[in-house]
Formats: sequence, C-alpha cells, structure tokens
Amino acid sequence: MTRGLMTRRSLLIALVLIWSLGPMLWQLLSSFTTAEALVNDELSFWSRWTLNNYRDLLITDPPFWRYLFNSSFVASLTTLLTLMLAIPAAYGMAKLPHRLKGSLRAAVVGAALFPYVLLFLALLELARTFSLGNNLIAISIPYSALSMPLALLLLTAAFEALPNDLEDAARLEGLSLSQRLRWVLLPLIAPASASTAILVFLFAWNEYPLALTWLSRSDLLTLPVAIARIAGSSTYSVPFGTYAAATVLGAIPLLVLVLVFQRQIVSGLTNGAIKG
Amino acid sequence: MTLQLRAINKRFGERQVLNQLDLDVANGECVALLGASGCGKSTALRLIAGLDQPDQGSIRINGAEMVDVPAERRKVGMVFQSYALFPHLNVWENLELGLRMRGGTTSARDDRISSVLEVLQLSEQARQRPSQLSGGQRQRVALARALLRDPLVYLLDEPMSNLDAQLREDLRPQLRRLMIGGEQPVVYVTHDQQEAMALADRIAVMREGSIEQIGTPRELYLQPASTYIAQFIGRPQMNLLPAQKGVVTGIRPDDLRLDPDGTPCTILSREWFGSNQMLLVHCNSADLRLVCSGETEIDAEPRISWPTACEHRFDAVSGRRLPSD
Repeated sequence: MTRGLMTRRSLLIALVLIWSLGPMLWQLLSSFTTAEALVNDELSFWSRWTLNNYRDLLITDPPFWRYLFNSSFVASLTTLLTLMLAIPAAYGMAKLPHRLKGSLRAAVVGAALFPYVLLFLALLELARTFSLGNNLIAISIPYSALSMPLALLLLTAAFEALPNDLEDAARLEGLSLSQRLRWVLLPLIAPASASTAILVFLFAWNEYPLALTWLSRSDLLTLPVAIARIAGSSTYSVPFGTYAAATVLGAIPLLVLVLVFQRQIVSGLTNGAIKG
Repeated sequence: MTLQLRAINKRFGERQVLNQLDLDVANGECVALLGASGCGKSTALRLIAGLDQPDQGSIRINGAEMVDVPAERRKVGMVFQSYALFPHLNVWENLELGLRMRGGTTSARDDRISSVLEVLQLSEQARQRPSQLSGGQRQRVALARALLRDPLVYLLDEPMSNLDAQLREDLRPQLRRLMIGGEQPVVYVTHDQQEAMALADRIAVMREGSIEQIGTPRELYLQPASTYIAQFIGRPQMNLLPAQKGVVTGIRPDDLRLDPDGTPCTILSREWFGSNQMLLVHCNSADLRLVCSGETEIDAEPRISWPTACEHRFDAVSGRRLPSD
C-alpha cells in the first residue's frame, strides 16, 4: 500500500520534472545543433553538433553580452529602487490602524492585478514628454512602479508576521526608528526581501512591451527585445539555432540567481503559510 | 516618590481600559500589579514604558514628566512575557545591540556583558541563538538585557508565566537579588497572587481599569477591602457565606476548624496535599472550603466552627468591607 503510494508519487514528480525541465533541455540541445540538423533528421549523430550558434551571437554588433549586461543593469536597478521604496512603505502600512489598512490593501491588490499593458500608451507618452527614451536608468522607473504593488503586499505581510514585542523591546533598548529597521527588522524580514527581490528582478528581466517602445538604440536593447530581433532578422528563415542559444545565455543569470538564493526564496514564499 | 502615575485614562475604541489610575512606587520598592486578564495591568505597564500613550494623566519618573518622552529615551528596563529576544542574534549580540547603539567604548561594553552573563550563569550560552536556549535561560537573557539598560525603572510583564512551577520558584530568589530592592522602583505585573505575595513589597489589585486595593501582602490578606480582593488573595479562596441582613461574612478556609460542638455538615470532596488537605463541605446551605493538617482523620459527618474574630464582614450590595465593631 505504502510502496504503491510511493511509486505513484515518484511517477508524479518525474512527470512534473519532465513538464518543467523538458522544454529547457530541448532548448539547450537545439542551441548546439546545426541549422541543417534542425530540419533534417537523417543526418548522422556526429555531424549534428556545432558551437556556431553561440559564435554567431558573440560576433554581431553589438555583441550579445551587451544585451545581457543591459538587462542585468536594468533588472538590478529596478530591484534596488523597488526595495528601497517598498520596505519603508510596507513598514508604514503594517503600522497603520486596522480599518485604514484594509482599504489600502484592497487598493494595492487592485493595482497588482491591473493588466499593465493597458498603461503602455500612457507610459510611452510620458517617456516622450520627459525624454526618457533610450535611457537604461529611466526605464527602471516604470519597472519599479509596476512591481511596487506586489512588493508592497509581500513585504507588508512580512512586517506584520513579526511579533510586536520585538520592536517594542528594541525601542526600549533606545534604538531609533532607523536603527530598529537596520539592526532588527531588516534582518528578520530578509527571506521575504530576497523572494520579493527575485520576483521583481524576474519581471524586469522578462518585460517586453515597455522595453520595445522605450528603447530603440541597438546598443541599449534588453534581452527580450534583442532575442525577438534575432528571431525576426530574416524574412525567409527563422534562425532556430541562434535563437535557442540566445535564450540559453539569457537564462543563465537567472538560474545562478535562483540557485544562490533558493533557500530564501522558498522560505519567503511559504512565509505565513506555516504560521497561523 | 520615584514613579508616579496620576489620573491615567486610556481607552481602546469603546473600551475604557484604565480609569483614573493612580500609583506611586518608591525607590527600591517592588509593587505588583495583580489582576485577572483584561483588567488593564499590562496596559498600565506599556504606558509607563512609553509603548502606548495615555489619553489623560501624568507619568513622572524622579519627578520628571514622561508622557511626552518617547519610549527610546525613557530609560526603562522591561522584561516581556514573550522575552522578546532578537531571534537573529546570539545571546551576546542580543545584549550588545542596545549598548552599542547607546554608545560607549567596546572594552567597557565587553566587560559589562561578561560580568552580567557570569552573574546569570549564561557564560557558556553566550554564542547560542535564543532558539537554542531553554525557557529559563531565555528568561535570564531577558533579565540581563534589562539590567544592562541602566534603567530608572524596572518593568516586568508576567516574566515567569511561560515557565513551569519548579523553575519559577528557582528564579524568584535570583530576580529578587538582581532587580528588586536596588535603587530603582520595580513594577511587576502578574496574575499569580502567590508570585505577587512572594516578591512584592506592596500589591495593587486591579479591577476594571483601576486599583481596587493597594497595600502590603499582609494588609491585603488580613484586611481585604472588598469581596473581590478577599477572593483574589489567599489560596484556597475565602469562603463567602450567603448574605444575612445585608452583610456577607467571609471566612478563610484555614480559619475553619473541626469542632465536635460545631455545626454538622457533609463532605462533598477531599483533596489531600501531604502537609495539608482541603475539604469541600456542605453546611447550612453553603459550600465551604476547609484546610486542615494532612494528618487529621476526617469523620464521615464532621462538625465545624470558626472563631468570630476571624470573620470578615462585607456589605452585601457594594461588596466593600464593613468596619469591624
């Protein structure tokens, strides 16, 4: 009985793994496969493989790593900006009287659920008015604004989960508000901050429509736009191999980030699920 | 007078938590705030600490008005019921954080922390996180942190209610040695009358936001001001006989005695504790608790009596004590 249950569970886990890792493996294989091999399955095994897809990416002008850098820069700046604004705001929100907090939270949830593509034209108009186009620092402003509701919700929940006695004790120890934040509260919400940071980083990393319209200079493109350009570079053929190589390279920084912070992410995401 | 509360009012929403509360605590005196949960005793403590603001009234420490002084600068040492140790810091860092933020040299800091750790027998736990400590150890760390605050007042909020009975008795002498009877006034909040009687110089019994009676444990025990106090102080609680002509008579279980010439009664239950035993008897349409020596043989139908001098007399309507005549 138990053994049957165990094998069924392992089977389920295997299916989930195939479901989630399969496409990635496929992409990885494709990136090392020659263009002919991708459309012709009669080629021998040994003549299928190549590194040319990667070489093609790196010899273009600007080279592909430039887009990696742009995306990393924008995503990091966005994350930093979001956390710097969301942490104090979340602290304030957690301290609000109950009734006020309820309606404010409803508004924030509404903002988080709002489809941001609807803001796209208005944001474009703003970029034009204030000449924010083609500027990697400027684009992190709408990115932060769009990530703010989610960050606020996650961080407010984290602050609320802390026992009040801890901050009271720190006050009686003579710690000012900024000292309490720095030495007591921030270390205690670190897991939530880490998972929030990852989510914000991912959003900025993957964002496409705003990047498409705000950035047009080829040396300032972020990854999603750059990859889309590769895919659409020729009218007559789709360069599958190069495309696959680009997505593989584009995923590496994310994988590293998630591997480094996986413990914080998991504990942050399940925060509050265990308690209560 | 070092700690002085005058006419403190505090309401949370609809509920009046503190109602015209007055309290004076002298230098080196320990006053226990005793009461059932929800009587406002913890609120009073939080107001003294500055963690909440009173709606009206004045709080003075050494004569200086404190109501407008933020909690950070009030210099009170508080021990929380939950201990409130910082979970991300080890014992040493927990004690160091406040000292470091308040300034001073590193070497002076280290000396003070090690000596306090030694006094509280925590030197070996200095590098452990609070989660690795036992309840008693956590409690001692919380005491150490309050001691290192150099406070003007010590506030203890049910500091032992999370510990088992044995540990509580072990910690009482330590608490008395370290905090009580020093320079500072001590306010000790508890719902345990035994703890209050053991530690406090005076006990203030609170009820519905104000002090029902304040006095030494002896005064409260011998001269309870109301039926509420009478039943709150002393275990097992005082017997109250049914009102007769507007007077309720109270009699302590230890003042009742078995007497061959007394009133006949029937035994409802018997609890034997070794050195003494408690009988619940039914007598003249009243259930009475009676405490006598554990050695005493009990008849199936005992007779009991009590000396009139031991009677406490209360007004049946107000519950206030009537002057003895």
